Amino acid sequence: MSDWLAQVIDRADAVSDALTPQRQGALAVLKAQQWPTRRTEAWRYTSLHPLEDMTLPALAADTPAVPDVAGLDSIDLVFVNGALQGSLPTFPEGLTVGGLTDSAMQAVATDVFGSVKPREHLFGLVNDVLATDGVVIDVAPGAQIKPALRIVNLVTAGAEAHHRILVRVGDGAKVTVIEHGAGAGTSVNTAFAEYKIGDKAALEHYRFALHGGEAIHMGGAHFSLGDEAKLDSTLVGFGSQLSRLDYDLVHDGQHAFAKFNAVYLLGAGEHFDLHSNVEHAMPNGTTEENVRTIVGDRARAVFNGRIHIHRDAQKTLAELNNRNLLLSRGGQINTKPELVIYADDVQCAHGATVAEIDDKALYYMRSRGIDREQALVMLNFGFIQELVNEIPNEALSNWLQPLLRERFSGMQVRP
Amino acid sequence: MLTIKDLHARVEEKTILKGLNLTVNPGEVHAIMGPNGAGKSTLGYVMSGRDGYELESGSIELNGEDLMELDVEERAQKGLFLAFQYPVEIPGVSNMEFMKESVNAMRKARGEEALTAAEFLKVAKEACKQVNLPLDFLKRGVNEGFSGGEKKRNEIMQMILLQPSLAILDESDSGLDIDALKVVANGVNSQRDGKRSFIVVTHYQRLLDFIEPDFVHILSDGKIVKSGGPELAKEVEATGYAWLGKPEEAGA
Repeated sequence: MSDWLAQVIDRADAVSDALTPQRQGALAVLKAQQWPTRRTEAWRYTSLHPLEDMTLPALAADTPAVPDVAGLDSIDLVFVNGALQGSLPTFPEGLTVGGLTDSAMQAVATDVFGSVKPREHLFGLVNDVLATDGVVIDVAPGAQIKPALRIVNLVTAGAEAHHRILVRVGDGAKVTVIEHGAGAGTSVNTAFAEYKIGDKAALEHYRFALHGGEAIHMGGAHFSLGDEAKLDSTLVGFGSQLSRLDYDLVHDGQHAFAKFNAVYLLGAGEHFDLHSNVEHAMPNGTTEENVRTIVGDRARAVFNGRIHIHRDAQKTLAELNNRNLLLSRGGQINTKPELVIYADDVQCAHGATVAEIDDKALYYMRSRGIDREQALVMLNFGFIQELVNEIPNEALSNWLQPLLRERFSGMQVRP
Repeated sequence: MLTIKDLHARVEEKTILKGLNLTVNPGEVHAIMGPNGAGKSTLGYVMSGRDGYELESGSIELNGEDLMELDVEERAQKGLFLAFQYPVEIPGVSNMEFMKESVNAMRKARGEEALTAAEFLKVAKEACKQVNLPLDFLKRGVNEGFSGGEKKRNEIMQMILLQPSLAILDESDSGLDIDALKVVANGVNSQRDGKRSFIVVTHYQRLLDFIEPDFVHILSDGKIVKSGGPELAKEVEATGYAWLGKPEEAGA
């Protein structure tokens, strides 16, 4: 066991609040965990040394500004280093929001906490025992919530913060939740979110992992879908010193539809590890997953995409596509598809490629006078632009395009 | 304007063009007709510089410059335009971005200022209307999900925006219904200004009812075997290519 985990366990004993019974259960599991090494399958390409070796600098006095998204119709909840800033705003009818341990939210919190996120995620357990801050969201059955709920999670240099989001979307309800993570400087952050999506309910979900190159960020988003539930989720990430995200999409109901698009752009010496796991536990479910990565400089991207189709999950339609673009010789991409299929009447497609430039497209562009270098930049950027174009929220799409473009133009392009 | 002398060219290991000669003067429209496999598309690809299309001997000069010495993009910047038979889909790059980038690349090569986004939008909208495509085609990925006819019209839109001195239309009529055919023909006719030249490559005479050529050439087995006026196209329409005595499936 590492010193880091030992001090987490020490501190966990001191946490006492409304969620203590749940935390105790997690703590018992955590105590039995082996600290992962590179020989641990789930951590094969991601070393935890940066975390073990890290010394946090003094806590920065000023907090970074809340990122502004022009034209976004949203209700914002801003957390700095885990703590909610200001008081809760008023919410439209059908939407109830409170702090993680607010007594008014306790029924929802205990219903959702740990019920969607699988127990095996090490840092999820850390978050279970240490996240005293966060937000609980309850969307009443049938409620159609128009403004997006944006949860801004700012982490300042020198901070260690643990943050939790628990969401219950009632049957037939509709809501948009944006997890907007940002920060600057060296920090440690765990941020986990659990979503229970009711029958015929719809969740539009975004996660922006923009914590900066020096951060250590461990997190996850975990979804349970009821009958005919619909999930449209987009993840956009820049790299960090060390970042690891676990996504779980669980079809607990029939005829559910899940779409998950992820884009990440890594430069310098950044590291980004995404593990996604789709569980088709019930029949007639559909999953469309697209993960695209651009890696430049000495960065490293890791993707593990698992699809598990259970014996009873007949007529499942699951597609997972992972495409990667390596822009530099020093960069690294490790991608691993994992299909586990026990039902016989399913359609499941799985592809992982380290992409090459389409020669025909390159010729076509050059035949229109665009020089080779510029054509390559356009083609490479087009590779992720395709997924950005699928974002249903126009304001978010408009905000992301220049942000990604700026990020991309700073990356090293292969000649 | 364009002088092709004794052009021999091959695709991979196979010689397709076997001594082609062609002179196009400013303002002229030349139609090149011929059976499948005669080398019609190869000519356009060799001229534009596609990888794998290799010159064996002969020369191509455009406005006094040796085309074969130039990169693909330089040929375009010197005024050569090829309307593709099968335009390429580029998901993720919008038509607008693509065309703005190419118009500005041409302007830069001519030493002109780049157009601003607003300036470009104005001309792009005009061109879009001219080829009868809805304006949302500007926002869509290049040729992404376009029908065959829409792709061909998109090519003509690019030609209108890029204002080449020589445009080669490679079977721009294939797969078009009569309305789309007229749109393509009108696009070409609108650009005929007495200076700009065109090479219209086609299998059928149909397009030539709408774009009247000055000269018609019959290409067979890599060579021009007969040249004449518009009446030659009508003759081909009536008699087919059987008189050439060559199998249609030869070559690419």
